[in-house]
Amino acid sequence: HVAMVNKRESAKKLRAKTKSELEKQLTDLKQELSTLRVAKVTGGAASKLAQIRLVRKSIARVHTVTHQQQKEHLRRFHKNAKQLPKDLRAKKTRALRRALTPREAGATSAKQQRKARAFPMRRFAVKA
Amino acid sequence: TKALKAKGQQLKGTQQLRKRKIRTTPRFKRPETYRPPRAPKYARRSLPRRNALDAFKIMQYPLTTESSMKKIEEQNTLVFIVDKRASKPLIKDAVKKLYDIQASKVNTLIRPDGLKKAYVKLSAEHDALDVANKIGII
Repeated sequence: HVAMVNKRESAKKLRAKTKSELEKQLTDLKQELSTLRVAKVTGGAASKLAQIRLVRKSIARVHTVTHQQQKEHLRRFHKNAKQLPKDLRAKKTRALRRALTPREAGATSAKQQRKARAFPMRRFAVKA
Repeated sequence: TKALKAKGQQLKGTQQLRKRKIRTTPRFKRPETYRPPRAPKYARRSLPRRNALDAFKIMQYPLTTESSMKKIEEQNTLVFIVDKRASKPLIKDAVKKLYDIQASKVNTLIRPDGLKKAYVKLSAEHDALDVANKIGII
């Protein structure tokens, strides 16, 4: 069962729009939502009431696309920065973020290195 | 010995010749130090948070009950359900933004079901009946 009226903007079409176009779309959708809410209170037609969900999800879609675009721009902007803003860094887990880096974990002292070189793990083969 | 003393003093340096500061009160207050303004090396949040409580979120829907109708006709006020976190000045601005009307006064209450009701009294230049028609309440 396809949605009632305008299933207009797919996310694909939204991504093609510019920031100001998206802003305008957002206010239009919010305006529409407020009129639909009034219709709900004054006993509107069933089609109008069904529209509410569509419009809400459209608003969410615009927000998602806007946010994704902004984040992408910011990542590009901070590309060569020494320290990134915290929300652009890898999330992982708190413990993993505080763990030793692979380099730090694999570091060995000079003494250890000398030992390893002098007494490596030997491999022997038994002649068949 | 004067020469020796001078030689000794030269070796030690002039730091020790500083005089003791004369204190005139028994109180000691921590001296003010230089506090530079913040100059972060990186932004903590890449983006500032967007305002979640905008005009559309504040004004949820108008009420169309008998008593609210009475208010429209007799007292030039509109009655709305608003977001519980909205304050009276915010409601005033939201109404201005959405419906282009000047509110002379806003009264609010929180209903027993947890929703906030706002009585928005319009200034004399607006007619609540006309505005209600325009919004679609009537």
